Parts: sequence; C-alpha cells; structure tokens
Amino acid sequence: MKTIFFNFKRGILSFVFIFLASAVFGQTLVSGKVTTESGESLPGVSITVKGTTMGTITNIDGNYKLEVPDDARVLVFSFIGMKVEEVEIAGQTSINVVLHEDTTGLDEVVVVGYTSRKKSTLTGAVSVVDVSDMEKTRVPNVAQALQGQIAGVLVTSSTGAPGDPIQIRIRGEGTIGNNNPLYVVDGVPSRDITFLNQADIKTMTVLKDAAAAAIYGSRASGGVVLITTKSGVIGKTSFDVSYYRGLHKVANLPNMLNADQYINTLEKAWNNSDRTGENPYTADRGRSDFSDTNWLDELFEQGKSQNLQLTASGGTDKMQFLTSLGYYGQDGIVVYNNDKYQKLNYRTNINVNITDRFKIGTNLQLSYSTQDAIASKGESLIRFALLRAPVLAVRKDVNDPTYSERDPFTDMPFFTPTGYDQGLQRTMYEMVGNPIAKAFFSDDKRKVYKTFGNVYGEYAFLGNKELKFRTNLGVDLTMFHNKAFNENFGDDDGGGSAIDKGLGRQNRPNNLSEERGEARTITFNNTLNYAKTFNEKHDFSAMVGTEYIENYESSIGASRARFPFTTDKYRYLDYGGSNLDIWNSGTASEWALFSLFGSTSYVYDNKYMVTANLRADASSRFSEKNRWGYFPSVSAGWKISDEDFLNDIDWLSNLKLRASWGKLGNQEIDDYAYLTLVSQVDGVVKTNRFGNPDLKWESSTQSNIGVDVGLFNSKLAVSAEYFVKNTTDILLPISLPSVVGDVAPTIVNAGEVSNKGFEFSLDYRNSNKAFKYNINANIATLTNNVEKLHPNVPNIVTDVTKTEVGHPLNSYYGYRMIGIYQNQSEIDSYLTDGIAKPGDIKFKDVNGDGKITPDKDREFLGSPIPDLTYGFSFSATYKGFDFSMLFQGVAGVDRYNQGKQIVDYDTRPFNYTTSILGAWDGEGSSNTIPRVTFQDNGSSKVSSIFVEDASYLRLKNIEIGYNIKSIKGIQNLRFYVSSQNLFTITDYSGLDPESTDLMDLGTYPQSTSVLFGVNVKF
Amino acid sequence: MKHIYSNIIIILFLLTGLVSCTDELDKDPIGLLTKDQISSDPTITTIESSVNSSYLPLKNTLNGIIPGWRWDLGTVFRNDIVLQDIASNDMNKKWNPDGDQPWMDKIADFSFTPENQAFNGIWVYDYEGISRANIAINFLTDTELIQKVGMEDADKNQLLAEVYFLRAYYYFDLVNNFGDVPLVLNSPASFEEAFDVSVRASADEVRAQINSDLSEAKAIAPNAKYSVVSEPWRVSKGAIIALQAKVALYSEDWTTVLSLISELDGLGFYSLDANYFDNFDANLEFAEDEVIFAYDHRSNETPNNTNGLRYVIGWGFFSPTDDFVSAFEANDPRLLYTIDIANKRSSKIVGSTTDLIDYGNKVYIRYADVLLWKAEALNETGDYTDAVDIINQIRRRARTSPTADGSVIPAETLADRPSSTNSTEIKGWLMSERRVELGFESQRFNDLKRWGTAKAVLTALGRNFQDHNYLYPIPQKDIDKSGGSITQNPGY
Repeated sequence: MKTIFFNFKRGILSFVFIFLASAVFGQTLVSGKVTTESGESLPGVSITVKGTTMGTITNIDGNYKLEVPDDARVLVFSFIGMKVEEVEIAGQTSINVVLHEDTTGLDEVVVVGYTSRKKSTLTGAVSVVDVSDMEKTRVPNVAQALQGQIAGVLVTSSTGAPGDPIQIRIRGEGTIGNNNPLYVVDGVPSRDITFLNQADIKTMTVLKDAAAAAIYGSRASGGVVLITTKSGVIGKTSFDVSYYRGLHKVANLPNMLNADQYINTLEKAWNNSDRTGENPYTADRGRSDFSDTNWLDELFEQGKSQNLQLTASGGTDKMQFLTSLGYYGQDGIVVYNNDKYQKLNYRTNINVNITDRFKIGTNLQLSYSTQDAIASKGESLIRFALLRAPVLAVRKDVNDPTYSERDPFTDMPFFTPTGYDQGLQRTMYEMVGNPIAKAFFSDDKRKVYKTFGNVYGEYAFLGNKELKFRTNLGVDLTMFHNKAFNENFGDDDGGGSAIDKGLGRQNRPNNLSEERGEARTITFNNTLNYAKTFNEKHDFSAMVGTEYIENYESSIGASRARFPFTTDKYRYLDYGGSNLDIWNSGTASEWALFSLFGSTSYVYDNKYMVTANLRADASSRFSEKNRWGYFPSVSAGWKISDEDFLNDIDWLSNLKLRASWGKLGNQEIDDYAYLTLVSQVDGVVKTNRFGNPDLKWESSTQSNIGVDVGLFNSKLAVSAEYFVKNTTDILLPISLPSVVGDVAPTIVNAGEVSNKGFEFSLDYRNSNKAFKYNINANIATLTNNVEKLHPNVPNIVTDVTKTEVGHPLNSYYGYRMIGIYQNQSEIDSYLTDGIAKPGDIKFKDVNGDGKITPDKDREFLGSPIPDLTYGFSFSATYKGFDFSMLFQGVAGVDRYNQGKQIVDYDTRPFNYTTSILGAWDGEGSSNTIPRVTFQDNGSSKVSSIFVEDASYLRLKNIEIGYNIKSIKGIQNLRFYVSSQNLFTITDYSGLDPESTDLMDLGTYPQSTSVLFGVNVKF
Repeated sequence: MKHIYSNIIIILFLLTGLVSCTDELDKDPIGLLTKDQISSDPTITTIESSVNSSYLPLKNTLNGIIPGWRWDLGTVFRNDIVLQDIASNDMNKKWNPDGDQPWMDKIADFSFTPENQAFNGIWVYDYEGISRANIAINFLTDTELIQKVGMEDADKNQLLAEVYFLRAYYYFDLVNNFGDVPLVLNSPASFEEAFDVSVRASADEVRAQINSDLSEAKAIAPNAKYSVVSEPWRVSKGAIIALQAKVALYSEDWTTVLSLISELDGLGFYSLDANYFDNFDANLEFAEDEVIFAYDHRSNETPNNTNGLRYVIGWGFFSPTDDFVSAFEANDPRLLYTIDIANKRSSKIVGSTTDLIDYGNKVYIRYADVLLWKAEALNETGDYTDAVDIINQIRRRARTSPTADGSVIPAETLADRPSSTNSTEIKGWLMSERRVELGFESQRFNDLKRWGTAKAVLTALGRNFQDHNYLYPIPQKDIDKSGGSITQNPGY
C-alpha cells in the first residue's frame, strides 16, 4: 500500500510539472468579438480551448481575449440557447464568431447515467424538462412541478394538503408494489425529492426506457429522473432575488343539504326503515334549538402562501460557486391555521479546478421543513364536515351550562348523560364530531431536518484528458421529529374509564406522543470514463464504475396521557401522568446495495450510433442465492437527416430514428422480506410473516422505438415513441388465508404485467418576429394488462379491486348496478330469494340464477390506470410582456369514490349531498339513486355506483409577466401575476379527481390560487 | 508510461473496494426473530409465552387480537356473542334500533351473505388461536428442545395438555359454525405450504382430531382442580373432560357423554354454587366451585386484558328480545342477572350487578351446563327419572339463589317439574331450562342447531332461516385469498 501511495504522489507531481511547463512556454494571444445573427453583441459567451479547461468569457461588449497554447487547434464557443460553434485556430489571432440560436437544443449536453452525452446522439427515450417552464407552476414540491410537462410521466398529488406526498408514474404501473421512479441528484440517488428547492435545479432529465435507465439497474424499473443543481458560471457574479405571495381558495366543494332538507330526508329514511312507533324526525321538525350550519363553508377559509428566493452565483475559471437561500411558507385553507407548511433551504455548490486536470467540488443542501399535519384523508376533518348534521351549530351558546371559554364548540348539544350512552338522540344527530373544534385543537407537527449533498473529485488522465476518473461520496442524512398533542375536548357522554369520568369524549384522556428518528444513506461511487474521437468520424466512449449504498434508519417514540396542564409550555412528556398509559417504542432497520456497471457507445460520423450498458447489483434484501441481478441494455440510432439523400430537403432539419431494448430491476420491498419472522412482543409468541427464500429481483424488460423529427429549420420538433414494458417476477405482498393465523402478507415473485403505449410530443417555437411564442404539447397512451400470476394466487382480491390475468392491474371489481327496483313485482320476477324492497339498488344477476351472490355476480367495473395522459402549454413574449399557460389532463380513468358511499349511501343519519334530493321516492321517480333508508338498500356492496369516471382537464397555471431590462445595474426586473388550478373540467363527484388512492376516502381538496410575484436579476 | 501506471493503481483501488463490500450485504433483521433463530434457541420463557399466547383469542378485549377498530373485518371483539345469542334471537343488537353496524342486523334476520364480517371475525380469531397453539405444540413435543432448555417433564405435560385443549376448543368452535374446515396442525414451513393446507377437511376428520387432542391432553394433565394454583385460569383436567363430554354430546354419543361426566364427577372438584350469580361475580373468580373453564380478564395490564364487552354494552348494544324475556318464568331470579333491563346491561356478562367493571371473566364451561348435558343424555337413553331430577336441581338452585335486587320471590316460583316418562316432554323442559339457565352465554344457537329446531323456532319469530343456514357460510375473504381453494358451503 505504501509504495502505491508513493508512486501516486510522484505521478501527481509529474502532472503538475507538465502543466506548469506548458503554461510558460509556447502561447499566443487570440481575441475577437462574438455576436448574434442580428449583430447584437453577446456577453458571457464561454470560449474554451477544445480538450482543455482553458478558457474565458466575452465581456459586456462581446469581446474576448485568450492566451492559447501553440499546440491548441480548436476554439469552442458556447452560450446557453445557442448552437455551439467550433472554430479552427489555424494560426489566426483574431477570431470573430456569430452564434445562432439553437432552437432544437440538439447540441445540448444531457446528463445520462453517470456520463453525459450530446442530445443529438442519444439513442434512448430521454426527455429533458424545460426548467423555466417548470418554475412557473409555483409549487413548493419539485415533483409536482413536473405535472403535464413530459409525455408518459403522470404526476398526481395524493391530497391537496400542504406537504403531503406527490406520486410520479413513468410509463404506467409496471408492478403491483412500488412504482416510484428513482431520483438521482448530482449523482446521489434518493427516493424522495421534496427537500429540493426548485430554484436550484439546472437540468432535469427523465429516463423513460430501459436503454437510458438500465445503468441504474435494480432501482430503475419505475424510470429515473436525473437532476443536476446549478453551479456558478465563469464570469460575472450574478444575483437573483424572487418573491411571490399567493392567495388560495378551496375549489370544487360539493353542495350539502341544509337543515330543512336534512330533516326531510331523514324523516323519509325513517319511514323507509321498518321502524315502529312515531317518526322522531317528524316530531323534531322546526325545533327551536336547531341551527342551519354549512359545515364546509365554516371549515375552509382563504389560504396564503409566500416564497422568497435569493441566489448568488459566479466564478472564475478556477472556482465557481452558487449559494441559494429559499423560504416557502403556506397557511392552508382550513380555519385556525393548524395546517401550515414551511420549508427553508440553504444550498451551496462549489466547484474548484485545482489544476486543469484535477477538479473537486461539493454540492450541499441543508433543508428544514415543518408541516402541521392535519388528517388529510380518511377519518379527516373534511369527512367530518361532510357528515355532520347541519342542524347543529358550530359554537355553543354562551349561556349553555356546558360552555367554556377553552372549548366553546358544540359536540353533542342534544345529548344528556343520564347514566350510560344509549340516547336515541345521540344516534340521531350527533354521531360525528365537530370538525371546526377538531381543526382548532389540532396540534400535530412534523419536522424534518435534512442534509443532502455530495463531494466529488475528478481527475483527467492522458494527453487530451480523454480518461476521467471520478469519485463521488454522497450523503443523505435526515432527522425527523413528530410531536402530536391531542387535547381533550367535547361533551361528556358518560363513557371512558373510571379515572376519566367527566371528560369530554374527544381525545379522552388528553395525550402527547412524540417520535424522533434518523435515516442515513451513504452512497459511494467511482467511475472511469473514456471518450475519444478517432479520425474525426469515430466517436467512441466507454465507462466502468462501482457503487456502494448503505442505509440505516432508527427511531424512538414515546407517549403519555392525562396532562394536568395543557398550555404549550407543558406539552412535553415529563408533564404527563406517570402512572398509567406510558408507552415507548424504538426500532431500526438497514439495507445495503453493491453494484458494478459499465457502458460503451460508438457514434460514426454523428449519424450512426449504438450504445450498450450492463449493471450487476447485489442487494441485502434478498437471500444469498438470489442476491445478484444483471441488467443489460442496448440501443441504436440513425440520424437519417444527415444522410446525403436527404440533404436537399430544406424543411427537414432533423430526422432521427432510434430503438432500444433493456432490462431493469426493482428491489423496493421490506428489508427482510425473504425471512419467516416470529415476534415475541409483550410475551405473545406468534408468527409474524411467512418468508420466501426464493424471493428475487423483479425485472422489467422494455423495448422502445422512437423517431425525432425537426421541421422548418427546427421551428417544429416532433417526437414519437412506442414502447412495450413487461415486468416479470413482480414483487407482490400476498395475503395468506387466515387459516394459518393472522400474519402479514408474504412477498412473492408473483406474476407478469405488461404496459404498452404511444408517446407523442410536439414543440413549436416561433421567435422570428417581435411576438415570439412557443407551443408544447404531449400526449401518451397506456394499455396495462396482467399477463400472468403466481400459480397459488390465481387472483388478488382486495376490498374493491381484483387483479386477474387479462385485466389491468387493480381493476375495480364488484356488483354492477343496472337500475332501481320500482315495485315489488319487479323484485319478485327478478330474484328468487331476495330480501330487497322497492327503491333498492338492482344489481346485475350475471349468471341469471335469481340470486345476487359474491361468487357469481361480481364483474370488473373499471380501471384506476389512465388510458391517456396529456399536457399542453403555450407561452409567448411580446416586447416586455410574457404570457404562459399550462393545461394538464387525464382521460379514461376510474376511481372508487368511497367518500360518496359514506356520505350519500350510509345507513347512519349523516348529512347528504344535494343529489340525494333526487332519490327514489315511489314508482318511476328515479332509476339511479336508491331510496333513503337506515337499512341496507344495497349500498353496502362494492358496486358500480361508486366507480366513477375520474377523467379531468385542469388549467394548472396561467401567468402574465412584465420585464424591464432598461434599469441601470439590473439585468432584468420582472413582475408577474399568475393563477394555479384556475378551473377543472371533470365529471367526478368526489373532492379531487387527482387523488391517487385506489379508494377515494374524501381527501383534503386542492385549491385555486392567485399569486403576485417579482424577480430581480443583477 | 506514467499514465498507464496510475491507471492500474486506480483499478486496483476499485478491486479492493469490491471485495470488502459484499460482506456488508448480510443484514440481520433488527428487532425480529427469524424462524431459524427462534426454533434453534428458544428459552423456557419463550415456550411458556407461546402457551399463554394461545389463550388470548378467547378473550373479550376490544382490538385484542387484531388492532385498529376493524369493524369492517368483524375483529373488534370475539363475536361469538353475535353468532350465537343474536342469531338465535335471544338478543337484539341494540336497545334502540339504528343503522350502526348493520352487519349484526343481518345476522339477526338471516339476510346475510358470506361477505358479512361476523364470519370473518370468528374465523380469524379461531385460526389465530390454532396457529399459536401449533407453535406451542411444536415446541413442547420436541423432546430434544425440552431437554435443552431444561424444562421439567411435569411442567411440559401441564403446558402441553393446555394447548391440546385450546386447539381442540378452537376447532370445535369452527366445526360447529362452519362444518368442513381446513385442518392445520403444524406451522407451515413456507408460504406455499400455507396454500397447500387451505383445503377443507371433512367435519368428521376435524372431530376425530379434536377427540385425539383431548385424549392426549387428558392423559398428561395434572390431577388437580387448578393446574397451577397461582394461575387458576389455566386449562385443568376438569375442563378437558368437560369438553370431551360436550363434543360427544354434539355428536349425540349419549353413552360416552354419561361416562365422561361420571369421570368428571369422580374428580370431585365441581358442584353447583348456592348463588347463581357466583359463577359470574368478578369478585369471586376462582373462589367458587361451578366454573370449569373461563377466560380471566384483568384490569390495567399491558397488553390489554380487559372485558371489552363492558364498553360495547355501554354503547347500547346487547338488549334482550321480547321472546327471550318471556321465556323466563315469573319471578325467575336468573332474568335479572342475565339482563338488567332498568340499567340496560347484562350483569352476567359484565361480572357485577352494580358497575360496568372491566375485569369480569368470560365463562366458557360451567358445571350447570355439564349437568344439563347429563340430563339430556339420560333422557335420550331412557333414564327419565334422573333426567328430571337434574332439571329440578337446576331449578332449585335458581329459586334459592339470592335475587339481584334483594326482593323476595314467591314460594311457587320455579316449581319442580313433575315426574314424567314422556321423553319429548322432558326434552321440552330441558330445552327451555337451558335457554334461561345459560342465556347470553353463547350456547343457544348451537343448541337450536343440534336439536334441529332452529328452523321452526326462528321462522316462527319471523326470521328468514333456511335449511342451508344450519351451517354458516365460509367467510368470503378467505375464499378469495385462497384463490378458491377453500370452497363454500352449499346454499351460499
């Protein structure tokens, strides 16, 4: 080891000598001016000596001066948005250059898989995101900003609550388990990018097919999103300050019944329910202590958001830096502001060229986010607001004996505790708690502190620096802290354990739970990259590398109850009761991944290109015999437009055909999934889960053919692809029959799913006249089909879905409603043993046996996987004004609206939407909505009533801005106003058609917002 | 040259890195034991815990086995009370009918389908109990293991007898409810085996296994009223013999019933309590002589061991039907103990006549029940005098028990039955005596089914009971999960 180091040092020293030597001898001064086509001078143009890192930039007048070594042959002129120009020096000392706009971006260098390539020589399905378009969406989460931008990439937010997760699907649902893409930020992989600041992103590339993504092997089957962060640019230091402020309003709320309609409906329901005696709702009509509350109105208020971003960047040819500081804060749309979200980011990126061969750098981000979690789906505030009876007031009367200043909200205003809780009255109106009270008392904070970054070193060997060695160490360190205090409120219903007598029924007794944890992932990769052009026609490049990733996570938690004092300063565990209900927990998990990979590519004359990749991964998640997985891919392309026979066709500026094939893997399952686990917690010995020692990688084989066309001098760029993605050995948790005990599902390699589709994208740019505009459209189709399942598992059935061969994954499965029984004779002629009544739902008797049974009469009702996803954006500039808008939509998708089931079709006296006013009320009155009743009219069954078309088209954002360039000392000042989610066109009756859950449980809705912002660059 | 030299150095670096890294890929699960670890290295505590764990699916604790208030799965509490007492129309879901938990209403009026969560709930509880018992049995029958941990033979026998009983009890419950059920006697080695065992075995096969388990248990159980004096809740020899008798009774094997009951009597541990309520009184648990097997609920324990039905009762559930109340003869003290209408609670289920306490035990087998089996068997084998005698013994105890409200009952209450040689008449007395003696103790529906009178009785009460309802349907969830390998009962 010692000798190696010694030789290494000597090697370095000799390189340094050679460099210094060449710096002193044999140089010439070259100067000149760089202009645009229209004669304007171009400052900030980068001029480098090809094959070296020597260079300079043009000054404000477009002039430059550069000392060039005698053996230098070519100068490279480049500037963002312009085609790169290479000029042979050939002894000249004055070289003026005209740069042309690069409308196609074909010369752009795109980062793909540990290396970078020119866009024109890409052979895989790689889509580059227009980062400035993305910024206009004005959302805090980078993933959400991708919505509608790229064909085949479907982005949905699971709820509208600030800080809740975003889901991305690239080319459909490939598997039953984890479909999320892999994000790679500056070479460090991560599964979640909520911490990133959009303003720091320089490029974002989506690798959609196997050829591009296979180099990421076992984690890439959901696609890969490569992100690089901004670095300082050589030359002037620049500052960028942005601020915007937004107002948000809830959109798309349903109409609920008012107090009168509510009592009328319940009266009918009682009459329809085989009850004896007097109808209590008739008796209650017109009660003086009834109110008329619109709970949804009471719950939502105007929300606010603001964002401040400061960036400073700059550099010399020795060192470039960028620092950025960003703050985003949002008060949500629920009253009392206990649904806030705040994010603070600090980033510093530094690159240092220690010598012209040796470069080091670091990209480091610190971020802190805090979210007031408000239950945003399921048993949520929203659900309470939908269900609570409108006859109840929000607040108690000050004279009410149970009124208190601490808790002035109603809970069960009609109930009187006389012994135990069997009051008919309570079950008449007061089953659901008060959502406004719940919003008021909510105190649940989730804080995340994250350090994410990498440090790298790069060394270029060989004369022309064709061989580069890069070592990269990435760290993702997250610490989280959740603290939820549940304060006791509500009315006393006489329940609770003996010590809690007299307390209100909500959060009885009060309690605090806290959890702290950390997760650390270390990534260490080393690559060796070789790129050389032989005889000017043969471009050859090769890369080999290794990567090791290790993750360790741990957490501890504790909770206590019965806090005698509940103000903020007492909300710590020490001040809770120390006799009973003291809980604590702690656990940890870890995994590791080791890989070897390599890729090579060959391009002949910029016309014929072929690339091949191979990656071998070993994962700790599988048993030793299945640990290694191999992921190859190969792709080829042909730039037909450069061929001689197409030279005469002026209007065709680019025509490239490409095809690829490759294999990707998926290892996203629980860490110890292949083991049979037994637990011994609290003295209970039971089998936790049965293992599967044969568990192995899921692999996805993808073929892709595509064509890129550029027309009319690159004004119009069109791209079309067709892909076939087959995922086999799908990692799937299957529930075993309860016959073997109550065990967690076992992970099994369970089958095969195919996804096929077309993707089409179009970009038209017209920048010739003063009115410049750009149209971008993308559309993708998807056909998903389950090809095969595990022999022991012919189908996978969940509450509302069934996965079976020949149908899309997780298709909805249940009874089909074909109408409403209008009268008894209809029932008698249709069913042989039915206990249905007129007004009940009429289900399809699939096998015609006169009985509605689960075995024979259920069928497939729809699919949650969209058939079509599309996006359309238009942007224009005219003089100082700029305008842009983005539409995004989804078609051919269904969703199970469970929220509808509990609101309009439940047997308990909850509130209803106004659609219930059209319910069946006698023969011939309705054939779509069954009678209201407290018994089951068929609504407890999973049926097509609840499977709704969730297609939608949404105007995601629209923005108008005004730019002022003429102020001295300032490069650009821009004012803008924009609106997000201005309108949505949909037939879906739930709160948000975008909800990603298979069962929409009534989620926090999205909001429409208006923003005002300003941005200064100087 | 020098360039090549340094290139080689880099590659060597990479290679050395390679070798060291692959060892890091063996990660042991943190906090969980793999099956290998637990089978190769358990301790005495593990083995005892595995036996104790097998009792838990018998408790009434809310969320006791499956957490999370899964009303949709029917697993919030052990719902034998729904399947026996509500189904037989002794009990109504709630004092005030409403739309809450409609699945219980469907059990009451026999309009249920196989998706009804009542069936899933009991199936999950019973099979979880069987799965835990299998783990315990595997430990205790592994002689090498027992030697290794140093467990005494006497202790091993006592524990093994307990889990054989428990497994037999769970299978007995399953076979009575569902008929043919999968017979799982071992922890499956892998998930594939789990599918292999998901096939229904015939009810006869299951009963044969039950009997075999119980005889094995009886042979090794300690000969004492309580197997472990400090833990009186454990299965005792008396419980084993009593269950054997009950199995024989349900198979109408009258002579076996009688011989087993005389074996039980020979132990001399059990007799009728003077006060009917002593069986249920939480303050007298394990300090009286009639209860043979009960689940011991306790307050303030972690994990929770409370009697969850006390809360369910508090929410207004479990009221008597008019028919049930009218089945009691005038002034029968047992009515008030069974259902306290004024205070809307069942003192018998809760374990107190005054408070909704949470530590009242769940009585599974008691001597009065055993006596009534004996009476039934005697009646069926022609010994009418003795049969009537037993019925009168039960009635006498009932009328001489102190009343719950301290009232004095008139002398003619619950008069002795006259002698008779009409076996139908005696059976009628027996059936109504069982109903009022064991009301709300989850015996009624099984009784109606085995007597074959379910259809007549329930249709007379206006319920849509049909012939195929003599067996409950297999829960649809498990049929779905097994991919159809578990088949459904006819008629569903």
